[in-house]
Amino acid sequence: MKNYDKLLNDLAPQKFGKKGVIWTITLIVLIVLGIIAYIDQIIKGQVVTNMNDYALWGVYISNFVFFVATSFVGTVTVAVLRLTKNTWRTPVVRIAEIISVSAIIMAGITITIDMGRPDRLMNLFIHGRMQSPITWDVIIIPTYIMVSLLLLYFPLLPDFGLLSKYYKDKKPTLSKWYGKLSLNWTGSEAQKEIQLKSISIIAILIIPVGFMLQTIDAWLFSTLFRVGWDSTNLGAYFISGASVAGVGALVCVVYVLQKVYKLEDYITDLHFDKLGKFLVLTCLIYLYFNLNEYLIPQLTSKKEATTHINVLLTGQFAPLFWFVIIGGLIIPVIVLLFKKGRKPFPMFIIGLLVVTGSWWKRYLIVTPTLLHPFLPIQGVPEEWRHYFPSLHEWLITIGTLAMSLLIITILVRYVPIVPIVRTAEEREELELNKNTAK
Amino acid sequence: MRNPLIIRHFFLVVLSVFLCTSVFAQDKVRLKAEYVKVMNEGVYFDIQATAKVNDENVNVSKIELVIYNLVGDEQVEIGKTITNMQGKSRFALKDINSIKPDSSNTYNIDISFAGNDKFSDASKSISFKNADIEAKLVSIDSVYYVTATLIDKSTDSLVVGESLKVQIQRMFKALPIGEEFNETDEDGTILVPIPEGIPGVDGILAIEVVLSESEEFGTVKAIVNAPIGKPVVDESTFDERTMWSPRSKTPLFLLIFPNLLIFAIWGIIIYLITNLFKITKS
Repeated sequence: MKNYDKLLNDLAPQKFGKKGVIWTITLIVLIVLGIIAYIDQIIKGQVVTNMNDYALWGVYISNFVFFVATSFVGTVTVAVLRLTKNTWRTPVVRIAEIISVSAIIMAGITITIDMGRPDRLMNLFIHGRMQSPITWDVIIIPTYIMVSLLLLYFPLLPDFGLLSKYYKDKKPTLSKWYGKLSLNWTGSEAQKEIQLKSISIIAILIIPVGFMLQTIDAWLFSTLFRVGWDSTNLGAYFISGASVAGVGALVCVVYVLQKVYKLEDYITDLHFDKLGKFLVLTCLIYLYFNLNEYLIPQLTSKKEATTHINVLLTGQFAPLFWFVIIGGLIIPVIVLLFKKGRKPFPMFIIGLLVVTGSWWKRYLIVTPTLLHPFLPIQGVPEEWRHYFPSLHEWLITIGTLAMSLLIITILVRYVPIVPIVRTAEEREELELNKNTAK
Repeated sequence: MRNPLIIRHFFLVVLSVFLCTSVFAQDKVRLKAEYVKVMNEGVYFDIQATAKVNDENVNVSKIELVIYNLVGDEQVEIGKTITNMQGKSRFALKDINSIKPDSSNTYNIDISFAGNDKFSDASKSISFKNADIEAKLVSIDSVYYVTATLIDKSTDSLVVGESLKVQIQRMFKALPIGEEFNETDEDGTILVPIPEGIPGVDGILAIEVVLSESEEFGTVKAIVNAPIGKPVVDESTFDERTMWSPRSKTPLFLLIFPNLLIFAIWGIIIYLITNLFKITKS
């Protein structure tokens, strides 16, 4: 235990301070408000929303797509960085795994909220058709939840084992729980072998599953003959957008945890620098796909495509569109190209911009297309021509976002956010290498 | 002194009238109604409500109309209906016996709107006699004809000199056949040849004989289903496995490939879970 003393002291889960308690209570209040609004929605029906015959997908679906996108962080950071043997990943991977689990669970809950009556979920299993991407979505979301949970859990086993010993005298009940969760982890060679093999399998498995998740999410739209959605580009477009949302969210959470838990020794400027470069890469790829998505329809000038794009570029949705493109992608790229821009605080601000931009981007993917059907909107009330979420929709959406943050908060409270055993092993290897070099 | 007082009173009266008309200004609703009888099917009234608002004709939607049957001095309510977004409404009766005629065997119907905040009250009266069209398909010298007889049921007499239309039901609009006007002869009958080669589902043509918007009888329609058309080749994919079929007819590649993929992934997941048990045991 001696080798781990400092690490355990720094990295073992800690009780919340005053700020942590206020933060948790705030989240719970927001969730309760969301639940009240949701119960009211179930009682009165979706008439309480501003969705209608045209804008039949509103903020719930935008929010769902955002959660699905953010969950991709598990794939891009953990799996890809692991397979490419990027050793700097260690202090940030668990945070990415936690975000991934939280986001994909909330994606599943959000889509149920959009159904109106939650019991309708059963209809997808009873009457679902394999021809429909909605059925594929129903299959892939639980699959990704399972893979994400395993990706979080397997690397945690040694840490749980260690924490069980660490809390044995101080907090016996907690120690018992960690002991159960560690699955009798002793660190034997046999256990290590199974664990490492399993992690390698999950790291490979999560890549196709993650790609399938994002692609199916894109196909929910692109299999419909609607302007703005009917594109062969959409699968790749969603994957690149998900990378941006995921890495952006990761940067924000990493910064907050570094400051709150004073982890400057573990999460250093180097990590922000690397994450910054990674974010630039994802933003540039996403910008490229945006160019494809908007420029080609504009150049080919099909009447309906031009109408749709003009609404985005210069019309009703222009302020939001330019905020997303400039604020959510171009400014981050410019700032992060400079070394000073990749310092923790600027990175945090950029991360917030990227995440906000990513959320609104999903709103722009969903809403303007629905408000531009091929047949003219006529013979219906005037308000059906427009869509903006109702108070119920906002409360429920904010509630889901708060719930996602609460899942992260709870996991952060009981799970070591930086892998303790892995960090110790890496430090030992480093020492060994230094001694060998001498 | 008297003159300024009169002027003041006059001014107040004019102002009051102006304010009253401004505040309580209501647009007038215009109602149109048509009586339609479809032989062996039923009777209904097609109603359209419009109004002139700001010099523009608009359809008046979501207003409640009450339908009365007038018999002598008696006014019997037979039902209510509400106009749709296009200001239209169809009020159906079970059959003509649901309403009563007056002493001259004429049916009198009054459609009434009570008025609301926006529109003033309005009503529309229509009168009609009961008539039947008896239509059938006949074959004369290997040529098919539709023969139809128009009968005034109020007097049980044949109607002579009325113009009937003959047409075949199509998807968007009926296809007229024969002369433009087919006047009933002294037997109250018309005889119209049906051209060969008109396509129909399973070779069945739905031939309509219509007395259209007659002042005396309203609209009366008889439909004859004649198996004399050219059968339409069924291009339906109903029995095939397609992307738009029900779940029982899913394309095989969609059953095999995604399911293989799902089972493979879940197989690995189950293997990983068993690894957790192995870790516990080892």
